[in-house]
Amino acid sequence: MKAKDLMIPLQEYLKPDNTLKEAANLLRIAQRGEERIGVKALPVLDESRKLIGILSIGDILKAVYPSYMYLMELGNFAWDGMVETFAKKAADKKVKELMTRSVITVTEDSTLMECVDHMLKNNVKRVPVLNKENKIIGMLYERDVFYEISKAMLDENTGGGR
Amino acid sequence: MTEEVKAATEIVFGAKFWIATAIFILVYGLIVTEKIHKTILAIVGASTMIVLGILTQADAFHSPELGIDWNVIFLLVSMMIIINIMKPTGVFEYIAIKSAKVAKGKPFAIMAIFSVVTAVVSAFLDNVTTVLLIAPVTLLICQALELDVVPYLITEAIASNIGGTATLIGDPPNIMIASKAQLDFMAFVYNLTPVVILVLIAYVITIKFVFGKRLTVKEDLRQRVMAMNENEAIKDPALLKKSLAVLAVTITGFIFHGMLHFEPATIALFGAGLLLLVSGTKEPHHILAEAEWTTIFFFMGLFIIIGGVVNVGLIKWMSIKVLEITQGNLFGTSMIILWFSAFASAFIDNIPYVATMNPLVIDMAKQLWPNVTGLDLLHHPDLMPIWWSLALGACLGGNGTAIGASANVIVVGMAEKMGKPISFKKFMLYGMPLMIESVIICHAYIWIRYYVLKI
Repeated sequence: MKAKDLMIPLQEYLKPDNTLKEAANLLRIAQRGEERIGVKALPVLDESRKLIGILSIGDILKAVYPSYMYLMELGNFAWDGMVETFAKKAADKKVKELMTRSVITVTEDSTLMECVDHMLKNNVKRVPVLNKENKIIGMLYERDVFYEISKAMLDENTGGGR
Repeated sequence: MTEEVKAATEIVFGAKFWIATAIFILVYGLIVTEKIHKTILAIVGASTMIVLGILTQADAFHSPELGIDWNVIFLLVSMMIIINIMKPTGVFEYIAIKSAKVAKGKPFAIMAIFSVVTAVVSAFLDNVTTVLLIAPVTLLICQALELDVVPYLITEAIASNIGGTATLIGDPPNIMIASKAQLDFMAFVYNLTPVVILVLIAYVITIKFVFGKRLTVKEDLRQRVMAMNENEAIKDPALLKKSLAVLAVTITGFIFHGMLHFEPATIALFGAGLLLLVSGTKEPHHILAEAEWTTIFFFMGLFIIIGGVVNVGLIKWMSIKVLEITQGNLFGTSMIILWFSAFASAFIDNIPYVATMNPLVIDMAKQLWPNVTGLDLLHHPDLMPIWWSLALGACLGGNGTAIGASANVIVVGMAEKMGKPISFKKFMLYGMPLMIESVIICHAYIWIRYYVLKI
């Protein structure tokens, strides 16, 4: 089993100049497999469709979170409505300001263990899959790796049907 | 080589002199350009001094006169350890939230109380730490009250530099001067704290005029601040009690260290060790790792570089030139050192500045009183005002510009992250007049206290 066998082919993606409002909307309605149930992260591609970053729902949380709160324990002193106010302020920020730029990727021929290796060591739940030309062709999700592991555990080797 | 022999030795303008001078100028010049991190420059400069034979490794590591000042290093590291243990208790959040509530959420009252609290905390902790502890709460309070954060950040940074000037442990220049001049904690309290209190009072009055009328807040927003419960800040009451007890022991130790004949570093190290022990931590690794090692190595490197230029006689040559300019007039020298230190520290790091000035002042004293040595020389009655001028100028000068003090650099960085950048010009617009005000007060203080009243 290789990364390309288990990945979900690239369907939707963001551009660096999209606003967070647009990004949040796409994250909510993006396709996942057959359904439009939203995804937890989207790759960010530039005009030449080169992968330049990834924007996750965690990055949207960070967009409303004031940086000074990282420095001290201030959660107890937040007021009701703080997140909503900051969300309105952050709505027009650009994807490129918030995206994670150093993206952990695998190639289409990476083995499953290599994918697990990246996920565990870098604490990511999804990795973009690149082809030989360094273009993104899909996303590999932790959940799908888990299904593959569970199939091996339960001896369901007939598998397939993805 | 004894002090007297060294003082009598003529300066040799040979290859070593010029190599050491070149390293010194190159390192200081590159620190100013900020192209390479200052700690890297200090380490490279220091090791080059040893490699090129300007200074032996034994001198660099062990000589009290030419090498690393371990008193400064251990004092800094120990205080960092104490703070790192205290930080998770939530005491600093408590103090800041309590302050905002004492001010009843009124904007100028908050600014004034935060400035005074910052100054007092800075007198005992280093300024960067203080600002890192107070500023995040300030930002939260400002956002709750929908106030512009910039005036609050600037006034806090300046207050922290003022407060740090008050004690031996408040600001690195004082730690360095205390160690070189062998001055104790109470000497700083007796000589610097009074003038710092005057400067702080003048400062609060000045910011009242500058910001007082501009700051307004809606009544309903004040409720957000009044609804905050500062008691929720305390995360670990047991550790807090232990920390406060150890801190009390440590500060008492500082007060009496002169009488007890302990160096300040001994007291601080004992406090750090005691707190590590009673905190019950099983894993001291992260507490030690979080000490600011880049700062510590910057100090170590600088001490060696300065040791090199002292060894070749550059500093002695400079001290002769200073005395030629002032013609041995000590009041004039004091005032020149005060004002020059202030403007120099506004634009360059006051740590390398004081590292250079300390041996220069000592060399100057050796020229003036060639027959006096040891403590009698360091504590010569006519030399004392010069030490205080150096301390006041170097500490307060940091307020002049955004790069003058580390606390300023920190708040400028925070403001930028908040999307409210403070330009170099904007900081200077507030900082420079306030710095000049404070130096005028010090000028008057030194003149009246040491040259008119002679007390």
